[in-house]
Amino acid sequence: MIFQRGKEVLGTEFPVIQGAMAWISESTLAAAVSEAGGLGVIAAGNAPFSWVKEEISKAREMTKKPLCVNVMLLSPYAEEVALGLVEEDVEFIITGAGNPGKYMAAWKGAGKKVMPVVPSTALAIRMEKSGADALIAEGTEAGGHIGEIATMALIPQIVDAVSIPVFAAGGIGDARGTLAAWMLGAEGIQVGTRFLLAHECQVHPKYKEKIKKAKDIDTMVTGRPTGHPVRVLKNALAREFMKKERAGASVEELEELGAGALNLAATEGDTKRGSFMSGQIAGLLSEEQSCKEIIQDLYIGAVELFAAKCKEADNG
Amino acid sequence: MLRRVSIMIEKVKEILAEELSLELDEINDDSDIREDLGADSLDMVQLVMSLEDEFDLEIENEEIQSVTTVKGIVEFINKKRG
Repeated sequence: MIFQRGKEVLGTEFPVIQGAMAWISESTLAAAVSEAGGLGVIAAGNAPFSWVKEEISKAREMTKKPLCVNVMLLSPYAEEVALGLVEEDVEFIITGAGNPGKYMAAWKGAGKKVMPVVPSTALAIRMEKSGADALIAEGTEAGGHIGEIATMALIPQIVDAVSIPVFAAGGIGDARGTLAAWMLGAEGIQVGTRFLLAHECQVHPKYKEKIKKAKDIDTMVTGRPTGHPVRVLKNALAREFMKKERAGASVEELEELGAGALNLAATEGDTKRGSFMSGQIAGLLSEEQSCKEIIQDLYIGAVELFAAKCKEADNG
Repeated sequence: MLRRVSIMIEKVKEILAEELSLELDEINDDSDIREDLGADSLDMVQLVMSLEDEFDLEIENEEIQSVTTVKGIVEFINKKRG
């Protein structure tokens, strides 16, 4: 069966993790994804623990299935969120934008399954050693905070470097991407951008419109000089960012420009001043669907595609 | 003792050259690993793993955050070894 180990580690019907999107993936979306048979993820982003706790209890009223919180390690609240989660009713913790080594013992002690997002084999090996249950290998095609290596090159290298299951992320938006991930050795997928178009996703309608209108060339990467590159849809803010970067603006200046911009995009739909984080796959996406339809298209679509390809091969 | 330190410094330089794709003559005893040699956070993870292998140690990523120079790495390793 395809993705067997991924389904086992998640304990879900489908080996599909909904990618964390700060300010966007809150309780409604996460609960809907879990109810639909995937793993719903609440993004802690830069929020304090009190917010995360509130979202967990809201999600828990909507689903009894496994839930996950993504801890963004660059957040000023990373530590309080990381330690607070020990007592919370979530089965999974995903970490992003750093090395969660120092929290591993506390999480494992509380019976949490931990799945760090890794952008390189070295970090993958280290995370396996410190007790990670699975890894999410995320290529540079992804939206938001990204690494440098593309999914196509990253997945097989990480799969070969570790023995725990690896979930592929970055650039996956339909059944073809899902099946390709399996071919590369992944045991499941994490998808972010496509869930922006889920009916249950509470993001501002203008954000959804921007995703639907986006073409293949419409994302760009800002923040490389700060050491924390972020993939966003092109707009006035993104272009101003690039201009300032080229002019050698200080990290402080760039951070000031970016402060609050994601919230402006996600909750107010400010198309000029907002930061519309998105993966490169946005150009492929145009339909708003339920979480259930999305997950089934990604997974069942991949199983059907595989059968069709096998048939094609048999026919010589 | 001094000889052992200088052998270790050479070894650490070799590891840095290998991991950061540098030539040996680009690395001095006082080179700042991040500022001068350009190591980013992922390079540091790779570096820690190579140091663990070479010197048979367990190093936490947090421990090495305060280490800045080539000499600093050697001092850090000697301290770890006790």
